[in-house]
Amino acid sequence: MLLHAFEGYNVCIFAYGQTGAGKSYTMMGRQEPGQQGIVPQLCEDLFSRVNVNQNAQLSYSVEVSYMEIYCERVRDLLNPKSRGSLRVREHPILGPYVQDLSKLAVTSYADIADLMDCGNKARTVAATNMNETSSRSHAVFTIVFTQRSHDQLSGLDSEKVSKISLVDLAGSERADSSGARGMRLKEGANINKSLTTLGKVISALADLQSKKRKSDFIPYRDSVLTWLLKENLGGNSRTAMIAALSPADINYEETLSTLRYADRTKQIRCNAVINEDPNARLIRELQEEVARLRELLMAQGLSASALGGLKVEEGSPGGALPAVSSPPTPISPSSPPPHNGELEPSFSPSAEPQIGPEEAMERLQETEKIIAELNETWEEKLRKTEALRMEREALLAEMGVAVREDGGTVGVFSPKKTPHLVNLNEDPLMSECLLYHIKDGVTRVGQVDVDIKLTGQFIREQHCLFRSIPQPDGEGQIDLKL
Amino acid sequence: MAGYPGPEIREKFQAALALSRVELHKNPEKEPYKSKYSARALLEEVRALLGPAPEDDDERAADDGPGDQALGAAEPRDAEGPGEQRALRLAVIEFHLGVNHIDTEELSAGEEHLVRCLSLLRPFRLSLGCVSLYIQAQNNLGILWSEREEIETARSYLESSEALYNQYMKEIGSPPLDPTEHFLPEEERLTEQERSKRFEKVYTHNLYYLAQVYQHMEMFEKAAHYCHSTLKRQLEHNAYHPMEWAINAATLSQFYINKLCFMEARHCLSAANVIFGQTGKISATEDNPEAEGDVPELYHQRKGEIARCWIKYCLTLLQNAQLSMQDNIGELDVDKQSELRALRKKELDEEESIRKRAVQFGTGELCDAISAVEEKVRYLRPLDFEEARELFLLGQHYVFEAKEFFQIDGYVTDHIEVVQDHSALFKVLAFFETDMERRCKMHKRRIAMLEPLIVDLNPQYYLLVNRQIQFEIAHTYYDMMDLKVAIADKLRDPDSHIVKKINSLNKSALKYYQLFLDSLRDPNKVFPEHIGEDVLRPAMLAKFRVARLYGRIITSDPKKELENLATSLEHYRFIVDYCDTHPEAAQEIEVELELSKEMVSLLPTKMERFRAKMALT
Repeated sequence: MLLHAFEGYNVCIFAYGQTGAGKSYTMMGRQEPGQQGIVPQLCEDLFSRVNVNQNAQLSYSVEVSYMEIYCERVRDLLNPKSRGSLRVREHPILGPYVQDLSKLAVTSYADIADLMDCGNKARTVAATNMNETSSRSHAVFTIVFTQRSHDQLSGLDSEKVSKISLVDLAGSERADSSGARGMRLKEGANINKSLTTLGKVISALADLQSKKRKSDFIPYRDSVLTWLLKENLGGNSRTAMIAALSPADINYEETLSTLRYADRTKQIRCNAVINEDPNARLIRELQEEVARLRELLMAQGLSASALGGLKVEEGSPGGALPAVSSPPTPISPSSPPPHNGELEPSFSPSAEPQIGPEEAMERLQETEKIIAELNETWEEKLRKTEALRMEREALLAEMGVAVREDGGTVGVFSPKKTPHLVNLNEDPLMSECLLYHIKDGVTRVGQVDVDIKLTGQFIREQHCLFRSIPQPDGEGQIDLKL
Repeated sequence: MAGYPGPEIREKFQAALALSRVELHKNPEKEPYKSKYSARALLEEVRALLGPAPEDDDERAADDGPGDQALGAAEPRDAEGPGEQRALRLAVIEFHLGVNHIDTEELSAGEEHLVRCLSLLRPFRLSLGCVSLYIQAQNNLGILWSEREEIETARSYLESSEALYNQYMKEIGSPPLDPTEHFLPEEERLTEQERSKRFEKVYTHNLYYLAQVYQHMEMFEKAAHYCHSTLKRQLEHNAYHPMEWAINAATLSQFYINKLCFMEARHCLSAANVIFGQTGKISATEDNPEAEGDVPELYHQRKGEIARCWIKYCLTLLQNAQLSMQDNIGELDVDKQSELRALRKKELDEEESIRKRAVQFGTGELCDAISAVEEKVRYLRPLDFEEARELFLLGQHYVFEAKEFFQIDGYVTDHIEVVQDHSALFKVLAFFETDMERRCKMHKRRIAMLEPLIVDLNPQYYLLVNRQIQFEIAHTYYDMMDLKVAIADKLRDPDSHIVKKINSLNKSALKYYQLFLDSLRDPNKVFPEHIGEDVLRPAMLAKFRVARLYGRIITSDPKKELENLATSLEHYRFIVDYCDTHPEAAQEIEVELELSKEMVSLLPTKMERFRAKMALT
């Protein structure tokens, strides 16, 4: 898969299955050596290749983004300031993209792991607050990998951009709940209560009728998830799917449904079919020509089969190489477009009157944003990344989540000496993700005016107190007071 | 106990209702069900105040199953006595408790409450005071069972509701009480009008749930019928949001288009236009989630989407007409055309009025407004160029409208789909055109709109779209060349100008087939040894056409001619060789393969003769 990325393909790995069946383990693995999941292995491999391939003509850059899709809303997991739902758009050259999604520059696997962990924390925090589990949202971690090569002969720069998307799909369990209606991938038999969902019902109905023919247009159809699938199944992409199964018999039904789902996914063909015209006319013509040629040859007393031998003697002219293939088209046209206004929105004259000035302004701004992003230097990107990291840490610190001395918030680092609390979650990905130190003296836990801020349904304003009394022998004693 | 509930009960009940109406997102983020739990507590207090349920009822033990109790058998009893009044109020409380538990994801408890509600009401279910509540409780049980994926059970509850509504309207008919009225003092009771409105709304929901049940059971026609009825009732009872209603009707039209029910589709689309025109004029009658979004943006999007539904209507109708009138090589068949003309007279007289009435949206003024839109659009297959042109122009009008929103920047694939539809409209119009020069011009228009699309498109992200367009452009050039050849054939003395034109079209077609074939190459520009299943047939067809195109280049230079024949042969041979090594490919292109084989055996002879001739001169 990584090879494909180096070749300039997009690569995508979907993971799907019941919570607890090993999705996260397969993707992330454990921290111990030899237990690493696909993602760390892939990233490490990526950077080791980059390091091996170093030369003057070739430069690499890697950027990552991390987002969560929950109830059709896209949330940026790496930017704590990002509020509300981000919009999904398509650009002719840059492809599908999420507007305003932060893309952070990274230089090593440690950076990636760090960011992924931060994202998971953000996800955990949100999930805990919403009384939700990760099983109802999809998480998409994207690594954008750019290879820039400089051709000394022509003095031209060319770029090869590939995207590696790691998608953790919502869990497949059939909980006795009404939560994520219309969101889950499996088709439940749920009845939507409110008439506001009539549209969904109708469009599903219309959609069912048109598996093959592309003769209709169905609004609503494009959910963020299908957009995601479109991006990864619709282009120059290699896609893999991991179906995590549980061998326990109690999970039999789930396992079956996961497998069914995987089977369905396998059959997903991009609905972009090449329309072909009826060939009938061409065929008739050719049949006529064949007949004509035959007649001609018969008239000369030769049968076509007798001529078969001749063909060999003559040899086929240039059978090996296609003499007329036009020059291959360059695969990497995504070099930054010139910013002389070529990216300016192209209003067709007929459309212009209908577009309000505000809308036009908005479009212009969006385009400018893209240009600015393209012009941003690597250094600026790194700076931005750093700034966002500080913000994230500040936010976590405010909640009392521990930060490692070197500033990293990475993974499970169990401090040996200091007493601490960790969160537990049914989803192993989220478990032990947040860590709270208990200081010497009094540590207050609750919602208001506390050292460790917890929010949740049953958390009181002042929830409990930890008193940590260091003993002379270096051991400590901790009292819990509710 | 008195006929009226005491003030304490009334207040608590009202408070509970208000709490249960609080939208979930208004709860504190970490306590999403806080309001529901408070409402539940109040409801339980009210139930305690009302006292125990009357025990005398023999039907209490009756089966909990839905619907199976014959409706007609139970003689409607009035619920006027004080004991009945109490039972009724208890049923209302049980109902609300049931819904409350379902809302907080406690299905089993919810079911118990609803079943209790039904058994309290069963003897009086056809009475003025009970019918609405009984239907609502059954509907909620239907929803509950659907969540347990027991769709048959859900269906029988909902169908039982539908039957009860019909029986009530037939036998009694006067607007029944809204369940909340049982906790209101006499002077605050609702007007007949309000009662009717609420009861009808309950029934509309009933139909909507049935639509979903039928859909899950894959009874699509029935599901569509119930969706249609739901839309119809929303209009009749003025309970709709114009923009949402319009887009729903437009979407439903796509169902009808696929079923080739063009009259129904036209009706949906016309109604969509009329109702969409009300956006902004009529304030929303029901809370709807879309209002919170960016309204102007959404307005334009919806407008574009409705336009795209119209485009599909015009296009499919035109294509359907083409299908019914073309001969085996895709040309207009005059005999079929006149046959269809004769048929149409009948079509017009028959069934139209019946079918029309069956789907009619709206009444009075609204109905007239919809008809006015309909009258301008044909729903019968166009049979000649004039009729086709009308539809084409309408389609084109909506193409422009759709493109206003779906611009290339931001909506790449949508924009391209609209342009592809535009091209398809021209293509089908060309079928109806008899003048070959004009036909050629129509194809030229297609190329003019398609070619610019791929210039700015990054094949890394839009590979498939790119291929589609390349293929379509190549085909279009090919068609144009065919037309020019036909024109030249008719001329007594084809001049060099037209020959040049033919060759240049040939070259362009070649170029785009080649672009398409090149897109199959891997990043190292190597043509794959094994062509993917999804592009196998198009790739083989492109090769086949390339071979043919080389054979059709007009040149007076025998050397060049020989070269072209050789190249042509090479491409035919590729097809034959590929199918030899990949038997699965042979199935995809049986006829083409047969012809390619023939050409591979015949062309060398032809070339040999050519060489001999060259040697002579």
